Amino acid sequence: MAKQITKPQKQLSFVVDLNKCIGCQTCTVACKKLWTNQRGEDPIYWRNVETRPGKGYPRNWENEGGGFNAAGEVQRGRMPTAGDYGVPFEFDYEARLFEGVPGRVRPRPAATTAGFASWAPNFDEDQGEGTYPNNYYFYLPRHCNHCSKPACLEACPNDAIYKRAADGIVLVDQTKCKAARNCVQACPYDKTYFNTAIQKASKCIGCYPRIEKGVATACVAQCVGRAMHVGFMEDTASSVHKLAKVWKVALPLYAARGTEPNMFYIPPVLGPTMEDAQGNLRTDKKIPIEYLVKLFGNDVPRVMKVLEEERGKRLMSEPSELMDIMIGRRSADMMLNPLT
Amino acid sequence: MSKTTRRDLLRLGGAAYLGTLFSGPFALKALAQAPAASPQMQHDYAGWEQLYRDKWSWDTKTRGAHLINCTGACPHWVYTKNGIVVREEASKDMPSLAGVPEYNPRGCNKGACGTDYLYGPHRVKYPLIRTGARGEGKWRRASWDEALGIIADKMLDTIRDHAVDCISVYTPVPAVAPVSFSAGHRFAHLIGAHTHTFFDWYGDHPTGQTQTCGVQGDTAETADWFNAKLILLWGSSPAVTRIPDAHFINEAALNGSRVVSIAPDYNATTIKADTWIHPKPGTDTALALGMAHVLMRDKLVDVANVKEQTDLPYLIRTDTKKFLREADVVQGGSAAKFYVWDTKTKKPVLAKGCWGEEPPGGRPAVQPAYLGRNTLTFPDGTIALGDLDPALEGSFKVTLKDGKSVDVKPAYALYAERIMRDYTPKKVSEITGVAEKAIVDLAKSYGTVKPAMIISGGGTNHWYWSDIEIRAFHLLSSLTGNEGKNGGGVNHYIGQWKPVAVPGVLALSFPQGAARHRFTQTTIWTYVHADAYDAMETVGIDTRKYLRASLDQKMMPIYPREGRDPKVFIVYRGNFLNQAKGQKYVLQNLWPKLDLIVNLNLRMDSMALYSDIVLPAAHWYEKLDLQMTEEHTFVHMTEPAIPPMHESKHDWDVFTLLAKKMQDRAVARGMSRVFDEQFNVSRDFSTLYAQQTDNGKLESAAQAAQFILDNAPATKGITLDMIRERPQRFKANWTSPIKDGVPYTPFQFYTDSKKPWPTLTGRQQFYIDHDWFIEMGVELPVYKAPVDADAFPLRFNTPHSRHAIHSTFKDNVLMLRLQRGGPVLEMPPGEAKTRGLRDNDWAEVWNDHGRMICRVKIHNREPEGRVTMCHTPELYMDLIEGSTQSVCPIRINPTSLVGNYGHLLFRPNYYGPGGTQRDARVQVRRYTGLIPS
Repeated sequence: MAKQITKPQKQLSFVVDLNKCIGCQTCTVACKKLWTNQRGEDPIYWRNVETRPGKGYPRNWENEGGGFNAAGEVQRGRMPTAGDYGVPFEFDYEARLFEGVPGRVRPRPAATTAGFASWAPNFDEDQGEGTYPNNYYFYLPRHCNHCSKPACLEACPNDAIYKRAADGIVLVDQTKCKAARNCVQACPYDKTYFNTAIQKASKCIGCYPRIEKGVATACVAQCVGRAMHVGFMEDTASSVHKLAKVWKVALPLYAARGTEPNMFYIPPVLGPTMEDAQGNLRTDKKIPIEYLVKLFGNDVPRVMKVLEEERGKRLMSEPSELMDIMIGRRSADMMLNPLT
Repeated sequence: MSKTTRRDLLRLGGAAYLGTLFSGPFALKALAQAPAASPQMQHDYAGWEQLYRDKWSWDTKTRGAHLINCTGACPHWVYTKNGIVVREEASKDMPSLAGVPEYNPRGCNKGACGTDYLYGPHRVKYPLIRTGARGEGKWRRASWDEALGIIADKMLDTIRDHAVDCISVYTPVPAVAPVSFSAGHRFAHLIGAHTHTFFDWYGDHPTGQTQTCGVQGDTAETADWFNAKLILLWGSSPAVTRIPDAHFINEAALNGSRVVSIAPDYNATTIKADTWIHPKPGTDTALALGMAHVLMRDKLVDVANVKEQTDLPYLIRTDTKKFLREADVVQGGSAAKFYVWDTKTKKPVLAKGCWGEEPPGGRPAVQPAYLGRNTLTFPDGTIALGDLDPALEGSFKVTLKDGKSVDVKPAYALYAERIMRDYTPKKVSEITGVAEKAIVDLAKSYGTVKPAMIISGGGTNHWYWSDIEIRAFHLLSSLTGNEGKNGGGVNHYIGQWKPVAVPGVLALSFPQGAARHRFTQTTIWTYVHADAYDAMETVGIDTRKYLRASLDQKMMPIYPREGRDPKVFIVYRGNFLNQAKGQKYVLQNLWPKLDLIVNLNLRMDSMALYSDIVLPAAHWYEKLDLQMTEEHTFVHMTEPAIPPMHESKHDWDVFTLLAKKMQDRAVARGMSRVFDEQFNVSRDFSTLYAQQTDNGKLESAAQAAQFILDNAPATKGITLDMIRERPQRFKANWTSPIKDGVPYTPFQFYTDSKKPWPTLTGRQQFYIDHDWFIEMGVELPVYKAPVDADAFPLRFNTPHSRHAIHSTFKDNVLMLRLQRGGPVLEMPPGEAKTRGLRDNDWAEVWNDHGRMICRVKIHNREPEGRVTMCHTPELYMDLIEGSTQSVCPIRINPTSLVGNYGHLLFRPNYYGPGGTQRDARVQVRRYTGLIPS
């Protein structure tokens, strides 16, 4: 029997505009420096940005199962290995710089051409697919979707995971977690983690201490690409509501996994076209629509059409409310209060 | 960075995970035991959740900035709890400009982990004196007193045994930390040591813009990108190198601007452009001139602008290729006044505002360091044409003062002839590899969409002939009337050169006046003192011949003078050795000449590692300083979140202490007064401390910062308290006024107010009739192929990195974990395959200048024929041998050695030879030697 989840009064929601994410990793660092910098947390990035197409973080997460099956049963996915997360490089700078130990400062574990150490978060940065000059890639920022139907919550045998009534944030109660790790296996996005040093599961906390004070999450507040929106979906004045519910241009990632994510993506409509063997530009975009459909579902073609039409208006100097929302001239229009 | 213990690692990699590799539905047994009721209601919000609330808390919040060679100038808050700096966050309180997206949040991945250098393993904690060989990393701890005593005594020895100009002080980039910058300059100034240029040496100086516009460099603030309707990103990838500003490109695109990216690689900014044009590396000038061809052919030229704003109507003598000068025509005429041909009167007429023309009231006393000359006292409208209609085409006869007749042509006619002949779309397509139609479409688009902006970067500015590239960009911008327009113009973003409040910095650095200071030009300094080999004879250019002439004729300076060697080298705020092109020669030839190398540094970088004495500097969050940039028009600050840790000190305090120590030692050794022959002054070392601190008025960094603000038009009236409250907008700027709420864009004093441009001709100057330009065939900006002086098959490309600012953050653990743990050579699949290289293999990279052994990352965004490595990993990083600069020579272009030619003259960082490493070629093969464990 599935657990019952009371619908929260408000749902904290995110929109990521892939037309604006520049892959700079500022959000990754902002999150890491604020939250996951304690013992055992080095391999854990609640927030990460991955190059797509690519293997992602943890490696091959999207092929590892989890989520709900057609019958609504929560699925046990494969547990990523330490190598899939990337064993964090360590560097002995003191020895080389201050103690006269010769040689270079090598990362430990050193990457090898084979074996689990040849991986790290962002290891395939900017690689993508295709052959020059028709290769392509883009960036996909990810953190916990704070799903309306969280597989992690469903799978936890100890009821350590709950969804807050006030804001819909999904949390792992650190006092109740008994290290079952079902959550890690159940999350189809591999966005719950297990800290082996302290034997606790952890995940993005939606920056609830900030949200409680009306302040935007650390990743959004410091998104220097200005690519993120955060707000409550029930707030009809919020940009997340307008983008996801009114304009319907923001789509969840792998919606078929059945968890009802509350993080939505505006697919990349900006970008060059392919070229023929003589170097003449064609009209088709470099990122194949099939690939975007795979990530964001069958609604992608409709959304791309809306985006192209609305940008087309601006190209003709006509007004477009949608483009204005996506531009977000003032940060305060894209998020809760950005100021700390 | 938290430490993962070895045991944790084993668990992570081992048994803890092995039992769970199957998939399928969960066994419902465990779940069945769970209560079906809403579990979230059972949690006490005031209970365990307090854990993370406590984590997001702090005792104090202070202003922070990252005082490194970065253009971002991003205001941050720094949070401190229990005396520990816990983290930083972009302050997000930059004031907004009208109609454009705001600058907030402003920061990047590096700025967000600035605390790492505060507490990290690189931190220099105490004065250290070398006990092993240079670079070995063996030290003994010393007291400040001992270290400063050794330094002071060695300087006095040098003055006694050699000359004061054998003391060299290197510190770059005033904009990011003007107080710290000024500290060492003021000290050097007072004792007579020489200091260095850096903007040119780093390869960031837009030499072609100085040649064309008479300005050290000026650009629009980045918010103005949003105003462009067409953006040409030309060798520039803001998503990587201008992270805080890249959003304006994408926002402009969403707002209906077209974005074209011109770059050989499919870079992180290009992926969002409408059009990608990928010329062969180094052929960009040909592409620009192909566009000029189409603009001229299709009559898309803004003729009125060309006639008024440029020297293209100026008459050129066909016999000498020189301008027709007043001195040619009139007895006693000026050699710096020039003619145009008036189509109405059919006579040559002197153009207004030329170098030889004095403004009403005579030459102004104030000469901005960043302009060829001060033309701001000319009345508005000086260069307006009025009834004059200068010819652009045709050939005319003029009678010279000796009665001879000479044929003259407008520069435009000469240039158009060549452009129409040499740069047809077909020819340009052959040179660049860009399809003809793409060239024509680009040109037509550039000629019709207004305003259109060219944004250039390191991709076009690091070549031997990069000066011509920018001259050609300005040509395009002028032909289409885009100069001086919001959303238009040519904007180069490379280097952090713009301490907007420059008069304040100069006043603090050079209390006796800049004329009484020894500036050396660093590219020349390094080339000469490191006896660097450039292989240029293989392409028929004798660099040393031009260099000798330039130095002999005092066009460019070098110190020490009279063939002496530098003896004492004091470096701070700059990783000189690590960044030095011709690094092998610097280590082999220059380093042994130096009796004492001192480095003041917060971290043990490569420069510190190869020094004799290392002094601990305060971290950016432990000190007070200002920060400015060209990317936006606000001054902001950093202030101590905590006092300097260990024994570190603010740079300002270090140099006041050094002045005190030098004074004490000089008095004790009977060297209180030292006569300086070059300036014919007696330097009083017995009052050095009083001079350094202006009798105590500049004792603290805060006093020095306020002094800078008070002494510059851009910041006069702004106080530290005001900046502490919020970043403050400049009140004035370099070549355009600051208008309320409007993004700054340069050159409006000339395009709008129509004062003369600060060049020899008083216009944007495309024709340069200096002998050396004519000799090199570049009196007009024509295409010159990359210099292939290295007979090796692969172009070696060394761009900036997303995860570092030059060498800073290159060794940051968090940044390395988001890469591959060390530097990589990005290689296209084909080049790797033919060499049997697989991803992550070790490879040997070499040419005649040096060798590097590094890892390979196979990258399909790279064109065949080229390999790329983000520049300058530290010399102790994960390479088996060498670094990028091991294979990059110092190459000096003779045209950048020109001086005493109107606006082409030496002033520090205003004009001089720069870095040209993108022409370098290398070979790559599999490394088969021993891989150290």
